Amino acid sequence: MSGPLSEALATYLGRAWGEPVAIEDLARISGGASRETYRFDAVVAGERRPLIVRRDPPGSLIETDRRSEFLALKSFHGQGVAAPEPLILELEGAELERPFFVMARIDGGATASPFAPDPYAPHAARLGEDFFGTLGRIAKADPSSLPIAEVCEAPALDQCWKRELDYWSNVIETDEQHPQPIVRAAIRWLYSHPPPPAQKLSVVHGDYRSGNFLHDGEGRIIAVLDWEMAHLGDPLEDLGWALDPLWRHTEDGRVAGMVTRDEAFRIWEQASGLKVDPAGFVWWELFASVKGQAIWISSAKEFKDGGYREPILCFSGWYTARRQDEILAEHLARLAA
Amino acid sequence: MTPNVRDVLQGVTVALATPPSADHGMAYTMSRVGMVTMLATLAAAESDRAARDAIAENAAIRALFAGAGAFDADGALAAAAKEVDADLSVPALDAANARLRRQLIGLHEKVEAADNAAMNRQIVALYGKMASIRRMALGGG
Repeated sequence: MSGPLSEALATYLGRAWGEPVAIEDLARISGGASRETYRFDAVVAGERRPLIVRRDPPGSLIETDRRSEFLALKSFHGQGVAAPEPLILELEGAELERPFFVMARIDGGATASPFAPDPYAPHAARLGEDFFGTLGRIAKADPSSLPIAEVCEAPALDQCWKRELDYWSNVIETDEQHPQPIVRAAIRWLYSHPPPPAQKLSVVHGDYRSGNFLHDGEGRIIAVLDWEMAHLGDPLEDLGWALDPLWRHTEDGRVAGMVTRDEAFRIWEQASGLKVDPAGFVWWELFASVKGQAIWISSAKEFKDGGYREPILCFSGWYTARRQDEILAEHLARLAA
Repeated sequence: MTPNVRDVLQGVTVALATPPSADHGMAYTMSRVGMVTMLATLAAAESDRAARDAIAENAAIRALFAGAGAFDADGALAAAAKEVDADLSVPALDAANARLRRQLIGLHEKVEAADNAAMNRQIVALYGKMASIRRMALGGG
């Protein structure tokens, strides 16, 4: 069965490549509420190309810039990070009506649901080496030499925290529909206890966590996905997000369902050449939960106001928001003790 | 709270009433139906407990206000502490909860400005209780 997107893609790619293109096996992929994601094969001159198209939705969880996502992939593809190859960026939308980009598809991998109880066993430890090692390599890269620097502002090292906190607290200020005292207390704590300046400026993936990569089932990451919130900032930001209890999977002390917290730090430090400063990391851990809650609050507003009625937005703004409140309250209790 | 059960069911109805695109494919459509099923299960549980949870949270906030005299120059917290939830409909309870939460935010800001560690711990403990009251179980329990 061929739908309007298949036809639009065939027309667009045919023009882009200067040859007739047939689109086969197009299907939408679940998840990724900030982009509509489809897998498909483009058949051109007898060759079958496995591809992904990510298109802006009518509304989304978060305002993201598809240029920075495209250039983040371009920055790391083939550079020791399993970033899929970006191929075409179309900012005007053309036949697809909304901005989109096309990238190579990596087949044969699995992703983990946040609700899977122990999704990486029995290869969790090996996968943890790859997961936190990959994040360390992203942190180690010099962003000034990478394509993403073309579109992302480079904040001063002592302002990385403030730029992110200003952004996400403003999202809460704008989108909150019921008063949220817990996250507001966390925001006040963050403003009154600034972290040390970033050790270096890094590319921050922005959503680096369990569930946002494909793995081969034997402990190896084959694709790091969902770079739509990529920006330049403090490398501890990604580490705090990756360790948020929301993505924990198990209650046995492992983070991201893979390795212990200390092991995660060791792997990341070894790969990045940086240190996890305990004082700074407390800040970024709490910030991760504030950022999460901002996303869930925004999601609830989008769903309730009818801009984008995807059920996943409702789930995020309801169940996930309440779980995030528990995590925030636990952080605040430790800080108040 | 946001969204409430009415928001959820209205949104889910719209989602179900929207015909799937020919571009979506069966796997995505089934995944979406699975998410709708999960939301319906959560909504069923929430409809059973929404009033009870709002009453419990409102009572916990009022109990804190009753002991916050040092930060209540205009008596607004004491007045709120004496209120009772007479209208037990969920919209009325949510409206009262929103008023109490706004006052709680204001109280916490005053406590922080005064650097009162003991009262700060009480408020943070209340946050833990509020989050616990509102916890949702994925199985709908």
